[in-house]
Amino acid sequence: MASLISCPHCGARPKEEFTIKGAVLSRPAADAGHQAWTDYVYLRDNPRGTHREYWHHTSGCRRWLVVTRDTVSHEVGFCQDAAAAKLAEVRP
Amino acid sequence: MSDFRITLRPALGSAPRPGSRGLSITAMPEGHVVQVLGRPHAPDLFGVLERATGAAHRSVRAAGPGQWFIVGDAPLSRDEFAALSTALQPHATAVDQSHGRVRIRVEGTIVERMLAKGTAVDLDPGAFPVGTSAMTLLGHVSVHLTRIEIAAFEVMVLRGFAESLWEDLVRMSVEFA
Ligand SMILES: [Zn+2]
Repeated sequence: MASLISCPHCGARPKEEFTIKGAVLSRPAADAGHQAWTDYVYLRDNPRGTHREYWHHTSGCRRWLVVTRDTVSHEVGFCQDAAAAKLAEVRP
Repeated sequence: MSDFRITLRPALGSAPRPGSRGLSITAMPEGHVVQVLGRPHAPDLFGVLERATGAAHRSVRAAGPGQWFIVGDAPLSRDEFAALSTALQPHATAVDQSHGRVRIRVEGTIVERMLAKGTAVDLDPGAFPVGTSAMTLLGHVSVHLTRIEIAAFEVMVLRGFAESLWEDLVRMSVEFA
């Protein structure tokens, strides 16, 4: 497990200051089918390698972050504020 | 109306003083702590905060993006809080936390070494100069740290955790006694 997360606001902090909030998935449309919503709510991949997750800096700036980490090497890649990540997202 | 009179007791009134030479741990006056929350995507509010606090004996402490604490040693009257709150509008909202957060001063030439037992924040004066603040974990307790002088830090903590944190700080300072 990654032990140091580089918060874009606070700098490098130990993982104990954070709460993992799960995989970054795009939310289906409100009228999407039953299957799409079941997938979104319950079904998770267990990726080997790169994984994008929401992390909450609970004991720091209290911002939600999007952290990219490698589940094999434990390397932490890009850490971004979730609001900034959402703004950068290309929406159809 | 309540049958009980509410009396304000200091959170750390009965806490024993540590006796170490190199470090001192003191409960700061329970004056005021005002939490300031900026509106999303608000411009840099530092100027607004400086103007709102005015010449009064108050300090502004950063607490993450769009969040600050305004602290001072004197209690804040209802009118003073209202004036402060109005001065921040429409950019930010003020919440009086004076009853809910307690400040502890830790001081000494090796104070960083003592605090480093509890937090991973780099407290070297080069990386964390006077006036810098950080929200962090100190052991298992969430705190707001500010370097107020070169060898003195203010540790702000939720009132219910104050005594527990005090005991932790005393224990952390034992080896320097
Ligand atoms: Zn942070």
